[in-house]
Amino acid sequence: MHRSLIWILIILMSVALYLVFIWSPIEKVMGNVQKIFYFHVGSAWVAFLAFGVVFVYSILFLMKRKRSYDMIAGISAEIGVLFTAIVLTTGPIWGRSAWNTWWTWEPRLTTTFILFFLYLAYIFIRRMDGAWEKKARLAAVFGIISFIDVPIVFMAIRWWNSKLHPIVFGDAPNQSGGGIEGEMLVTLLFCLGVITLLYIVLLQKGIYIERTKLAVENVKKNIQEKLMK
Amino acid sequence: MRDLIKSALAITWKDLYAEWRTKQVFSTMLIFSGLVIVTFSFAFDPTNNTIRAVIPGMIWVITIFAGILGLNRSFISEQYNDSLHGLIVSPIDPSSIYFGKFLSNFIIVLFVQMITIPLLFILFDYKMNGNILLFLLVLFLGSAGFICVGTFLAALSANSRSSEMLLPIILFPVISPIVIAAVQSTRILLIDVEEIESLFSWISLMAGYDLLFFVFCFFLFEFIMEV
Amino acid sequence: MSYLFAAYMVIWILLSGYLVILGKRQQKINKEIEFIRELENTQ
Repeated sequence: MHRSLIWILIILMSVALYLVFIWSPIEKVMGNVQKIFYFHVGSAWVAFLAFGVVFVYSILFLMKRKRSYDMIAGISAEIGVLFTAIVLTTGPIWGRSAWNTWWTWEPRLTTTFILFFLYLAYIFIRRMDGAWEKKARLAAVFGIISFIDVPIVFMAIRWWNSKLHPIVFGDAPNQSGGGIEGEMLVTLLFCLGVITLLYIVLLQKGIYIERTKLAVENVKKNIQEKLMK
Repeated sequence: MRDLIKSALAITWKDLYAEWRTKQVFSTMLIFSGLVIVTFSFAFDPTNNTIRAVIPGMIWVITIFAGILGLNRSFISEQYNDSLHGLIVSPIDPSSIYFGKFLSNFIIVLFVQMITIPLLFILFDYKMNGNILLFLLVLFLGSAGFICVGTFLAALSANSRSSEMLLPIILFPVISPIVIAAVQSTRILLIDVEEIESLFSWISLMAGYDLLFFVFCFFLFEFIMEV
Repeated sequence: MSYLFAAYMVIWILLSGYLVILGKRQQKINKEIEFIRELENTQ
């Protein structure tokens, strides 16, 4: 199952790269650089998805106290950090060429930045000393609190200032949001799917490793008990 | 509900009384705030007129950094004689521990603000000419939101051996909305009085944040206090 | 063009970095399994 998913992922990823670099049209104003957009948006989507998964499994953990829920939340947070880091590095590179500035304190950028720190804080809590039940419980509580925080952060920063990002989908209240061409949309949606699949594969891999780690620890404990006798 | 408030007030009273006897946290926070103000005077030229623009930021930097000192102590100090354990097993709702701790931290921070903010205004020769009642409301709502989340996360990080390092890391990202709202509304009140209409949306943001997080922290607190 | 190249390089570097981390974890577990096997054999 996992292995076949990896093969599917590799094939789809090459198709996605083909779509991004060769098939999709070149944007008139920004030129080639606009092609960063597909993976940038994809990573941002997965980052938020990962945080949502952390939130859901944190609630589930507090209700059911199953270790596997805690594992899923932990790995998902790690992958979330990874994709947030991708968003935060590709964003400025794109911004540098499109807006001629590396960084701007714009709502979406700043929210992603704070999201990154929230994830890191979550991982720091997981790295705390002590029994796993305690760490899992505290991390789950923080996962819930920080997820509620994200929309408020976004709203606060949006009120604070809003200038640069064109709004691609949906209504643009006071700026004409560019819109998107059909082929670009297809490429974008395809990339979103592929990166989501990448997220699922990484999640599976991470959970698998955590499970084996747990199993090995249990075996070790058994051997220790045997030796004590 | 009445029991809950009664036991919460008992905890608040205990904390404030202990603080009154030692004045340890309060004096540390005051001295620290004074030092931060002195550092600001080196960082920004106090004779320059642009200093007015950074005063709102200063108020909140002082409040938050001094507040963290108190928050760190608030649950660690309960660990010495295992009194935190005593609080957990006592026949009261865990949420009342949160409420009590929140009140005592909040009162201490308000007292610190009452001294440091006038001091800041005097030392930087700033003449307050905005609406004082609104200013007090903003201070109240901003500090309430900060202490509300701060008390909760202080209890969370008290489980770790390196809690003094953990608390700022986990606290700052979560309180960023309240920091933005508090600084912006203070700026509007002190400097850009003409933007007074947007002040009310900031105030409602702060009030909403306070309410939302107070409710969530209140109900999630029992998960933190499990043995 | 170089910006585009840089951006995708960063993406691949970060992704493979995470894969290396996962691989290291796996390796650590494999070593422990080896160790346990040897322990079982000697007994």
